[in-house]
Amino acid sequence: MIEVIAGGRWTTIQDRGRPGLERFGIPPGGAADWFAARVANELVGNLPDAAMLECTATGPTLRFDVDRIVAVTGGQVDSAGWQAVRVARGSRLAIGTIAPGLRTYVAIRGGIDVPAVLGSRSFCQLGTFGGGFGRPLAAGDRLPIGRMVGHEPVVEPWPPSHRLPLPGPWEVRVIAGPQTDAFASDALGRLSATACRVRPDIDRMGLRLESPGLRLQSQEILTVPMTAGAIQVTPSGGLIVLHVDHQTSGGYPGIATVISADLALLAQARPGDTVRFRVVDPAEAARAARRLTDWLHTES
Amino acid sequence: MWRVAAAGDRALLVTVGTTIDPALLGQVLALDRALQDRRPSGLLGTVPAYASLLCHYDPAVTGADRLEETIHQLEGTVEAAIPSGAVVDVATRYDGPDLPQVALKTNLTPARVVEQHAGQEYLVYCVGFAPGFTYCGALPDEITVPRLASPRLRVPAGSIGIAGRQTGIYAVDSPGGWNLIGRTALRLFDPSADPCTRFKPGDRLRFVPIP
Repeated sequence: MIEVIAGGRWTTIQDRGRPGLERFGIPPGGAADWFAARVANELVGNLPDAAMLECTATGPTLRFDVDRIVAVTGGQVDSAGWQAVRVARGSRLAIGTIAPGLRTYVAIRGGIDVPAVLGSRSFCQLGTFGGGFGRPLAAGDRLPIGRMVGHEPVVEPWPPSHRLPLPGPWEVRVIAGPQTDAFASDALGRLSATACRVRPDIDRMGLRLESPGLRLQSQEILTVPMTAGAIQVTPSGGLIVLHVDHQTSGGYPGIATVISADLALLAQARPGDTVRFRVVDPAEAARAARRLTDWLHTES
Repeated sequence: MWRVAAAGDRALLVTVGTTIDPALLGQVLALDRALQDRRPSGLLGTVPAYASLLCHYDPAVTGADRLEETIHQLEGTVEAAIPSGAVVDVATRYDGPDLPQVALKTNLTPARVVEQHAGQEYLVYCVGFAPGFTYCGALPDEITVPRLASPRLRVPAGSIGIAGRQTGIYAVDSPGGWNLIGRTALRLFDPSADPCTRFKPGDRLRFVPIP
């Protein structure tokens, strides 16, 4: 059992989410930086579906009542990152401030064993269910540890060459569509030529961006299903990039969609950071996805 | 002509039309069933809404081109029909905070707005946005009003709203920009139930006023 001494800014239990339930209005969810989360499980020897902590901006303080193997990945914190370490019985792990990056993952060997809801242990913000407590962690919560172990912990630290860059400015690759034709013919070109700034109101549902001077024109469309990564343009010209806990349908047209590999990158963007979009073709998106899976496979 | 567009590198969006029309929903549901029967390799799941179907696929197994070809093969061959089921009564207390404003905007009395809203059957066109949120249509023209200028941060579960030619039921507490005219005690989302939502696209319902 692990006791939460301080919950941190917004710490939730996440695994690989519950994709496939969007037709019920349920977002896929799961770790926002899926790559860092995957590596954390790999380092401690967990199965890929094991649940862990996703910490945001300021992480929690935890007290361990047994020896545990732990790995901390993603946004940078003071404790040793990207390697499996032993936390001794009776000691504390304080994650503290996260920077650069926004989200840090804490995987514990065995996984956090809270009940699965609709096939996942992930907290779903839109439905306020899952994640063990139906809310972010708070002081006094106790986290049971399971047995979702697949192999021995990894001895070596995860090589820096096989991590995603943490500080911005971010170059995020997008594919045109699904509603690019709802915009002027030069709109996508203008979007990729403009530096956008991440606004303060970001969460797992999406990031709002401001892009002075861009002023894209759009009109509401008939409600359509939505995917993570969709760059929605509101009637006032604002940009919203949907993330893992996104609304499953909506009426703002999507000018382009962030490729799946770069959703992990975008999960680390902080308010005030600069984001630039670069339009790529499906072949480049496939290469980007393959690069990350190759990193996972050569190290495991 | 169905339009197929990339929605990122792991999904295609099939758009069969741009209006609220039972015939278009019929095509979407028929395509959905056909894909579930045929199970093209690499197709992970589908999401229907009004006049479009999102198809998630695994790019390591299939290409967008191949899936698009399968979809176009089904165009014109699927039997577009909405399965007929019982009409579900949604007991509704018409005391929503926006009812007076809706009455003003539509030049009707509140009682007349209620009469219009409760006076017909609706088709469920989509379950989406948030867990269990049920989009229905189409509203009579007489009570068509735009969304609120600024959305509410929290709309309680069970609230019934209208916006444009749509009416919807909030299944969980969530933000929302629709004009709230009533509420129901019917539970629309239960994560421990199977299925977890009360309605699915193609279902029919009717709002029944209660005091």
